[in-house]
Amino acid sequence: MFDDRSPIYRQIADRIKADVLSGALKADEQVMSTNQYAAYYRINPATAAKAFQQLVDEQVLYKKRGIGMFVSTQARDMLRAQGRETFFGEVVDPMVAEARAIGIPLAEVVRRIEQHEKGEV
Amino acid sequence: MRVDVQGLTVRYGSVTAVDDMSFSLSGNKIYGLLGRNGSGKTSLMSALAGYRKPAGSVLLDGEPVFENAAAMRQVCLVRHMSDAAGKGDKVSHVLEYGAAWRDTWDNAYALELTDLLGISLKTKVGALSLGQGSALGVVVGLASRSPLTMLDESHVGMDTPTRYAFYDALLNDFMAHPRTIIISTHLIEELASLLEEVVIIDSGRLVLQEEADVLRSRGTEVTGNASDVDEFTLGLTVLGEKSLGRTKAAMVYGTLDDSQLIRARQLGLELGPIALQDLFVHLTEPVGGKR
Amino acid sequence: MKVFRHLTTTLVAYGAIVAACVFLAVLAATFTLSLFADIVFSGWMMVSVQIARWFVLWVGVYVIHNVLPIAIAHGRTRREFLAAATGFSAVFAVAMSVLAWLGFLVEDSVYDVMGWRNHPHGSLLAYTLMFAVWCGVGMFVTAAFDRWGYGGALTLPVGLALVAVPGITMPGTDDLPVFRDAPELLGEGWHVVSVFAWMITMALTWAVARAMPVRTRT
Repeated sequence: MFDDRSPIYRQIADRIKADVLSGALKADEQVMSTNQYAAYYRINPATAAKAFQQLVDEQVLYKKRGIGMFVSTQARDMLRAQGRETFFGEVVDPMVAEARAIGIPLAEVVRRIEQHEKGEV
Repeated sequence: MRVDVQGLTVRYGSVTAVDDMSFSLSGNKIYGLLGRNGSGKTSLMSALAGYRKPAGSVLLDGEPVFENAAAMRQVCLVRHMSDAAGKGDKVSHVLEYGAAWRDTWDNAYALELTDLLGISLKTKVGALSLGQGSALGVVVGLASRSPLTMLDESHVGMDTPTRYAFYDALLNDFMAHPRTIIISTHLIEELASLLEEVVIIDSGRLVLQEEADVLRSRGTEVTGNASDVDEFTLGLTVLGEKSLGRTKAAMVYGTLDDSQLIRARQLGLELGPIALQDLFVHLTEPVGGKR
Repeated sequence: MKVFRHLTTTLVAYGAIVAACVFLAVLAATFTLSLFADIVFSGWMMVSVQIARWFVLWVGVYVIHNVLPIAIAHGRTRREFLAAATGFSAVFAVAMSVLAWLGFLVEDSVYDVMGWRNHPHGSLLAYTLMFAVWCGVGMFVTAAFDRWGYGGALTLPVGLALVAVPGITMPGTDDLPVFRDAPELLGEGWHVVSVFAWMITMALTWAVARAMPVRTRT
């Protein structure tokens, strides 16, 4: 389930962020407890708690004392803004490099993107 | 339960199994005790459980454990051939021992676990298969609900579904009843995500004690052109190396700082994480290669 | 107390079942023998002296070799266990000698009815002391073997000397040439020597088992 390589808490935090971005987790929605997380993913509860703490620090989640963890109202917008900052560097640039390496002209890549925009794909 | 070990030495005749070991566990965590065969894991745990008189000191919540009734009540060690039963005893007798002699014993939970792990109450301990014997050890270990619970190689002989049932039971019971649990295992890959802290020993000595997640982030595999890798790793702790043609991969131990990360990018080196199991293998490999 | 209760209830019950079965077997054997020959001795005396004490010794072995490690694995100290085992050896000896005595009660009346000849047999006290010492020697020697391996064999002469003590005044056992006159000189006072012998077995068991490691069983 986890690759046992990069710290598990970071993988969990990334997974929750992805759920917030995709809309699977909505604003002010309660997330599973650390224990539920730990049991589901078969990980140490302290590891799950660490992931949650990181998300609280990053203001993706907020804590209601005695109740649990909730998705903060601004979480999605914030993550989207962060994603936009890194999108070209982390997604587009490597894609262009890959296209060059295997010999696909960039014009064809652009055409494909335009097809997406027109809803043809 | 807090555990403090100071200058612990265990000898069998001329063999030194544990050699002047010192460490402390702050408690209420799941600890992984990792070491190769013969590294002293069982001897260490036996001393922690008051199974043998320690040379050096073993304190549980500040109290010496050996022949200390109050401290002994708090400890449960299960070694792979269960000590908690005679071979002629039926499984049901083993549970009766627990119920009779342990104040913290949860018999309903013990029955639930024997059922879950597929052990018949009527079978004699000597007639159990290796895996079932291990599973019975898990029952005794978990149902004892001891503030210090130690499971030594408890997975031995269990098939994969039983092992996963064991991991789930362990985790759920730990969350419901937090306590100090020490597990020794060779199946590091499988158990790694359950561990909060890792203690690695080798040849009776402590190699390191670290939070599992921190340890995971501490190893880096550096891959690239052989001469670049050599340049980059100069002065770093290199646990192991392997080459394929002109490409070389080096396992580096220790956190890399920003300037090192920039240098790696300049050299076009690929940096990747190392699995806990690989780290363990390299941390316990003596200089000069394999045993 | 928990350990004492466990040892006593399980092993006394076990001893009683074994004794009852053996008694019936002996009686059956005696009747069978009476078809071919005159009965001139007590079968139960043979068994209760020559065989029962080995059974009691074996129980001592079992208590130290099997139950002690289990008790430690369940969070009990050696001190707690040995205290329980000491009390147990006394209670078990009393229980076994009462069983022997009950056997004689039944056997005597059977012999009376059948007109068979019988021998005098040891008193309750004599039986109790014999069983207590044999049980204690079983514990002591086992502790030595468990602790030192084959080196434990060095304690065997001590064990032999100790078991000889209560047997000297017991009908149904052979006299020891060296000590032949001593019991007669001391009379009933010899029992005091047997009590000391039992106390020595317990002291030795404590001394050996007090810091004994629990080994991994294979």
